[in-house]
Amino acid sequence: MVLTASKKKPSTLGFVLRPMRRTGAQVYSSLIAGKPNTVLYPYQKLDLPPTYRGKHTLDFKRCIGCSNCVQICPNDCMWMEKLEDPELGKIERPGVDLGRCLFCGFCVEICPTVAIHETVEFELADQDRSKLRLGPKELRDDKYADTVKEERQKRSLPVLDLSKCTGCEKCAGECPEMCIAMMPIEGVGKQKPEINLSKCTSCGKCVIVCSEKALTMTEVYESYFEMPEPKFILKNCTGCSACAKACPADCIYMMDMPGTEKVLKDGKKGKPKKRAVFVLEKCVGCGKCFRACKFESIEMAGVKR
Amino acid sequence: MNLFEFCYGIIHWLVDLVNHLWYWLGDHLPRVFGDFFNWAGDLAVSHGNIALFAILAEAVIMFVIALVNVLNFIWIDRKWMGRMFDFYGPYYVGYRIGGWLQNLADGIKLFVKEIITPAKVDKLGFLIAPVILVSSSVLALSTIPFSPRFGVFTSDLDTGVPAGLLIAFAFFAIAPFSILIAGWSSNNKYTLIGGMRSAAQMMSYEIPLLLCVASVFLLSGSFGFLGVVNAQHDIWFVIPLFLGFIVFITCLAAEVEIQPFDLPEAEAELVEGWTTEYGGFRFGLFMMTSYLRGYVGGALATALFLGGWQGPSIIPDEFWFLIKAYLVFLIIEWMRWSNMRIRVDQILNIGWKRLMPLAMLNLLIAAAFKTMGWF
Amino acid sequence: MAEMWINMGPQHPMTHGLWNLRIKVDGETIIDAEPEVGYLHRGIEKLCESKTYTQIIPIADRLCYGASLSWSHLYCVTVEDLLGLEVPPRAEYIRVAALEMQRIASHLMWLAAYAADLGAMIGFIYSMRDREVFIDLLQALSGSRITYNFPRFGGVAHDIPPNFERDSLRACDYMEKRLKEYEDLYEGSKVFMLRNEGVGLLKKEDAMNLGVTGPSLRASGVRYDLRKDMPYSVYQELDFEPATHKDGDCYARFKVRMDEMYESCKIIRQAVTKMPKGKWRTLAPRNAPEGTGLGRVEDPRGEGVMYVVGDGTDRPYRLKIRSPIFVTVSAAPKMLIGYKIADVVAIMGGLDMCIGESDR
Repeated sequence: MVLTASKKKPSTLGFVLRPMRRTGAQVYSSLIAGKPNTVLYPYQKLDLPPTYRGKHTLDFKRCIGCSNCVQICPNDCMWMEKLEDPELGKIERPGVDLGRCLFCGFCVEICPTVAIHETVEFELADQDRSKLRLGPKELRDDKYADTVKEERQKRSLPVLDLSKCTGCEKCAGECPEMCIAMMPIEGVGKQKPEINLSKCTSCGKCVIVCSEKALTMTEVYESYFEMPEPKFILKNCTGCSACAKACPADCIYMMDMPGTEKVLKDGKKGKPKKRAVFVLEKCVGCGKCFRACKFESIEMAGVKR
Repeated sequence: MNLFEFCYGIIHWLVDLVNHLWYWLGDHLPRVFGDFFNWAGDLAVSHGNIALFAILAEAVIMFVIALVNVLNFIWIDRKWMGRMFDFYGPYYVGYRIGGWLQNLADGIKLFVKEIITPAKVDKLGFLIAPVILVSSSVLALSTIPFSPRFGVFTSDLDTGVPAGLLIAFAFFAIAPFSILIAGWSSNNKYTLIGGMRSAAQMMSYEIPLLLCVASVFLLSGSFGFLGVVNAQHDIWFVIPLFLGFIVFITCLAAEVEIQPFDLPEAEAELVEGWTTEYGGFRFGLFMMTSYLRGYVGGALATALFLGGWQGPSIIPDEFWFLIKAYLVFLIIEWMRWSNMRIRVDQILNIGWKRLMPLAMLNLLIAAAFKTMGWF
Repeated sequence: MAEMWINMGPQHPMTHGLWNLRIKVDGETIIDAEPEVGYLHRGIEKLCESKTYTQIIPIADRLCYGASLSWSHLYCVTVEDLLGLEVPPRAEYIRVAALEMQRIASHLMWLAAYAADLGAMIGFIYSMRDREVFIDLLQALSGSRITYNFPRFGGVAHDIPPNFERDSLRACDYMEKRLKEYEDLYEGSKVFMLRNEGVGLLKKEDAMNLGVTGPSLRASGVRYDLRKDMPYSVYQELDFEPATHKDGDCYARFKVRMDEMYESCKIIRQAVTKMPKGKWRTLAPRNAPEGTGLGRVEDPRGEGVMYVVGDGTDRPYRLKIRSPIFVTVSAAPKMLIGYKIADVVAIMGGLDMCIGESDR
């Protein structure tokens, strides 16, 4: 047993006197030697550390409207609202119901562009529950991210611009880690480099060697959550491009499939069919393409429709 | 000039003022009416009448002083407790006078609350119990003079009102009855247990209390306040009868139901004990009576042991009395907030097995002092 | 006086949390007791079947709001067992430091409630004041004061803030000084000893047979501490002694918890100074394989066990929680029979009941 406390038994005089000595010493230290240990709230306030999780703040410019935060919220407190912004156009941004919010911070951790932050503001009480539902306009603060220290680490990754790629295979040859494999795009007849992002060391050689400047090094925030990836099934695709319009991170390109032009009635060749091509470096796993496709040509494991 | 003469003078002046009207009416109205008003004026001026009203005025003054003192006590208690607990006491209400008005605010809050009488209580007992408690405590208070000239029960005798202290203790000891009635009539298992425990505790602590008082009587030779205080003119009784002082303070804490002896009001076990069914202002009355009895006890301890109103004459005697009573109260509060509750059978153990022998020992010491002729 | 059943609770100032204790009294002596739990059942195990593994971490925090870090840590350990993940050493040290701070905070909250029940408001205020020191440290570490949401699969959420080492060493010194002052207040007071010595005896065999774990078991003389006997995390590399006491009364339980606070200070010092550099989190897979995972952890109140069954998706098929208080409260009749009503407070308070984990 740990012998840290004294083993003296209190004497009869210690009936009340030893505790009184302690409280007397306390009176001395809070009356004569110093001040009591009280913060006279609300006239004096405490300093909260910057990691404190309080009210949310949304940066409209950084947010891509991917709705990852809405999906991970444990208590279903968030929703997406369609807005019209004068500079950004038609956008979809999340709102928070503070009455249900757990202030757990998952929405902050999962955001791929660090658009949503939690400030130190905690005085959020109101007399009406409906006033606690904060829409995106009430959460908007485009300058907050400049005032706080960046907590999330960034990685530089090479991102492919498919419209410029010629499939020349120079990047695959240059890569020292052998991360790049050239994969053919079915039906289109071209090939594109597939980059294995977990092995990439961000050395940038592939970017330098590409003559068409199709690869650019972009800074992407490190995410520790593994997000589901979409799998494309070619035979169901009708080329309707709903997925390309829905993707918030510009990962889907519609490409023509040569050789699929139908011959029209007056002998001319019609337009070729299109197919969707996925460039998954920037994919955030939001599942919007999965929900937008009505022909079941995209599969995402475990995501609800 | 003492309090009685002061009040007599004021009442006399007031009566003279009103009598101008009466005598004027008496002179100007015809026969029967005039005689009536003359007779009324003569009756008002008579000595017995003015003395009666003077005594009433004295009582009101003493009562108001007592209530203001209770407010002061509560304020000091909360501030002292605050510093012991490492926070400020009341701070904002009455900011510039240190939060003194907080008690008034709390009293007003209790005053405007709804008073609920549960349906199944015994109506007579339920309503009478607070009345008996408060009135007996205030009666005990009224017998204590602040100085030879300031008090309701004063007289020109050298020893003050004879048996003044006995009356005070008699009134003080009526409280267990009212607590028992309060607990029993509330028709609740818990309050019954609380009331019975409280009655047992108070009865068993009366005896060491009165034994200590008996030892003081031995040394002072009289039962009146003036006699006891005057017998302390060379040495206060706290020094030879130190043991008695300690026992007296402990028994006082048990009588007033202050931690460590407050099991009958134990919040954690029996909700509020015997005051559970009382709400609103009735509860406020019980709380006030608790502090009032603390004040009465402190005043009695001052008179018996600490030399009453004796002190250097830089400040008047009444203030010395109050200062000493406050000091006794502070010591009791210090003990209160540092300690835990004792279980009820342990309380009774302490009362009978430890305090009573000590009180007897104290009596023997007093007898020894008296026979040795030092007093 | 006749025998009667008294209901202490479910609304009662003494019972921390919402449970009912029925005792049969004969005068003042207790002849039978029957605890009733279940008033705070929130259906957490069923709720967890419809949420993803990540979403359950803040819910596991809210199982026992007195020691919430310990429960979310237990959940993460269980799922890491299911997924077969390795946690980097820096994350393990951060977890241990945070867990021991949580243990001190939980014991201080127990002490506050215990002192308040016994009648000493002074104990309540002092313990809460000292608990603030540790809660502030955990707030700087994780961002919240009571439900931290800090451990993640494969590590912790983020790295320690600047000055954390200096502040935690200062906090440990402060706490050891205050523990010496608490001796004056509790062990130096004859009143406290009168109320606690010899009250609520729980014999060694009864404790072991009824499945009691944690400080109550160690107070009855059984030296069983999961941190030493089945070490998890980095407890093997740290040097400490589990606290035991040979009587099984209320004073023994009190003493064991106070000694545990000393030991936790020692552990925090070692963990914070020995922390290696490196990663604090690794990537965890989203879908769990089909299989089972088991986690056992020494919670401040006893031994907590969680069992998870995965079925290949990202939501668990079943999550089973074993709470220590649910089992310990069944030892209540053994401890209460023969004592007086006024002892109920001391005895049940000494068990440190947190109903959130018992009712789930």
